[in-house]
Amino acid sequence: MNCLSTYLIISALLFSLGLLGILQRRNLIGMLISVELLLNAANLNFMAYNRFLVSDPVTGQVITLFVMGLAAAEAAIGLSIILALYRKMHSINIEAAQKMKG
Amino acid sequence: MGLLAIIICGGAALACALLVILSRNTVHSALWMVGNCLALAVLFLLLNSQFIAILQVIVYAGAIMMFIIYAIMMLNLREAGEDEFRKSLLSGRFIVLFLFMICLLALGLGLSPMALKGEMGPHSLAKFGEVNLIANYIFVQGIAAFELVSVMLTAAVVGAVFLARRD
Repeated sequence: MNCLSTYLIISALLFSLGLLGILQRRNLIGMLISVELLLNAANLNFMAYNRFLVSDPVTGQVITLFVMGLAAAEAAIGLSIILALYRKMHSINIEAAQKMKG
Repeated sequence: MGLLAIIICGGAALACALLVILSRNTVHSALWMVGNCLALAVLFLLLNSQFIAILQVIVYAGAIMMFIIYAIMMLNLREAGEDEFRKSLLSGRFIVLFLFMICLLALGLGLSPMALKGEMGPHSLAKFGEVNLIANYIFVQGIAAFELVSVMLTAAVVGAVFLARRD
């Protein structure tokens, strides 16, 4: 078992745990943290493939950099949405936010 | 030796991720996420990329997770307990998720022979992770994408201020 498959297995397990967190938690901030877990797993995948397979030495690292910027933007928007929901519903349980259910 | 270090750091990252999911308190979950970010930074160091590892520590563990912890403290979530996680772990919809995990693992194992016939020679391998190459890529070839990321961050900050405004 070489190094690339080790990294891929770690990344796959991290991605699965993040997906499990998103599907299971009913807390909105917990779901946001799980999304960060998913983005971290994708970052690890990009870095491992760039290190071991791609001949261009920078592409995966630049994509990782951009994903970090995306994660920062997503955290800002997500937390302000959660703040607005908390002002309206006085709870951050996702079961409370069912007004669009009809 | 290198493989042992990878397995130790990956195990630490996986344990932190599991504790992120399983901990009932949201603050504990966020702090375990900081630990996960630090373990991933060590993994990036083992991949010989110092710049991304430092950025992982500064941006993820230093900025994003502290921002989330600040939001948790501001909302004062004392009573937001998690509902029954452990007994719903074996319900029907999680069978699909476990199958997905197994498929991802099979993909990770099946893609490993591709590494043996990769194009990366020792010359380009030695250049991996140098900061001037990354800077050259960002500011010369990928300048449009870099500026788009900065526009996206500005739009996110303006949108966050607009959404969180008290009206």
